[in-house]
Amino acid sequence: MNIKVIGITALLLAIPFYTQASAISELETEYKSQGAEAFSAAAGEALWTKTFIDAKSGDKRSCPICHTADLAKEGKHASTGKVIKPMAPSVNPQRLTEVKKIKKWFVRNCKWTLGRECTAQEKGDVLAFLKTL
Amino acid sequence: MTQSQEQNSKQTPVRIWNIPVRLFHWTLVACFITAWLTRDNRYLDIHVFAGYLMTGLILFRLLWGFIGGPYACFHDFSFDWHEVLDYIKGVLNKKPPRFLGHNPAGSWAIYLLLTLGVLIVITGLLGLGGEERQGPLAGLLNYPQGKRLQDLHELLAWLMLCVVGTHLIGVLVESLLHKENLVRAMLTGYKPAKADTIAAASQWKTATVMVIMIIAGGVVWFQGYLTATPEQPYQPFVGPDLPDHDLWREECGACHLAFHPSLLPARSWKTMMAEQDTHFAEDLFLEPDTVAEIEAFLVENSAEQGLTEAAWKINQSIPKDQTLLRITEAPYWLKKHQEISDATWQDPKVNGKVNCAACHLDAAKGTFEDAAMHLPN
Repeated sequence: MNIKVIGITALLLAIPFYTQASAISELETEYKSQGAEAFSAAAGEALWTKTFIDAKSGDKRSCPICHTADLAKEGKHASTGKVIKPMAPSVNPQRLTEVKKIKKWFVRNCKWTLGRECTAQEKGDVLAFLKTL
Repeated sequence: MTQSQEQNSKQTPVRIWNIPVRLFHWTLVACFITAWLTRDNRYLDIHVFAGYLMTGLILFRLLWGFIGGPYACFHDFSFDWHEVLDYIKGVLNKKPPRFLGHNPAGSWAIYLLLTLGVLIVITGLLGLGGEERQGPLAGLLNYPQGKRLQDLHELLAWLMLCVVGTHLIGVLVESLLHKENLVRAMLTGYKPAKADTIAAASQWKTATVMVIMIIAGGVVWFQGYLTATPEQPYQPFVGPDLPDHDLWREECGACHLAFHPSLLPARSWKTMMAEQDTHFAEDLFLEPDTVAEIEAFLVENSAEQGLTEAAWKINQSIPKDQTLLRITEAPYWLKKHQEISDATWQDPKVNGKVNCAACHLDAAKGTFEDAAMHLPN
């Protein structure tokens, strides 16, 4: 009886980690099919912290502007001030669990930060970095 | 020395005004002043309380006019207009006859004030129900009708102020002409009179019930403030539950407050969803199904539907040939926020015009009740 309860609870708790792993691996396969090489967490971190200049406004843009330097903490949307939940999956297990969401946010946020869509390699590197957090 | 002054020397204080009459008089004064000072919608709950109290007072006075005893009963001060004219002539000749109770001119002021009070209360309730969708008559009238009643309510209040002014002049003139302090008489209840004059009973039991009811009413009405905390401020008026939509709330609420569809006309939402790839310099990258579903919800509940006072007024204020994408460009929005300084907008607790919820406690709900407006400390 007790073992059953513990087992079910453990399974339920494991779902986010399982879905996270499966979402990332699905995307990694897709990015590789698009020509990406092996993914590097170090390269992902470098891209994450790099500052870009917006061509139109001349403003500085980078991922930490909204997500803050400490990804275990809440961030803040640069123009609306809306609170952004922590990015680190260890703090926020909902992160990196849905392929559709990951794709949507990569498009939105790469376009805002870099002024263009990210390459398959860049996206894979950033995922490799984020999943270690 | 006139005859009346001669008599004064032999007179003793006699109670003319019983306690309920005096309590009614001064509480009504307090209600009128309070309601006047709280006419700005952000103090609506206090204004409405003053209105309800005034309603109770007037109903009481109408009843008291039949059972209130000497000087308080209407038949003790029912004068026709000839008597009023004669009295005014007497005042102009500086020899008005002295009345222990209400004089003819004062009586007519009372009837006029009571009538105006009744009309003010009725128009106030109709306006509150039509414009704010609150109170016992909520939704009985639509917004334009509610607005007209509101205008009438204000006009009647001005009229009442004029009658109050006339009444005060009358009190002053009569006090001077008869060399007696009528204001003090309304406070203490006593006037100098011959010893065998009929006196009013104190009626303290009725007065006690009145005081208890007024205090109880106040406690019931304002109790929300007692349990409020800085994190959970009290909202005196809670608006209706507006239509909601999970996908809309999730997608639009991801980057900013999910601005309720009722805050912009349908044409604005259609344009916004058509241009979702350049949404305020961002590519939302929403899938066509998502766009269609959210757009349907937005259009169905747009400002034209008049779900709230804000919705109706925003829609009214935007010229029909304009398609605004920012709520903050609507003339109604601009008018309502014109007094807010740049310093306030830039305050970190406010964080700009995009952050409605900094001051509007019900921003996420979309109702934007006047009384839910709350500047952060």
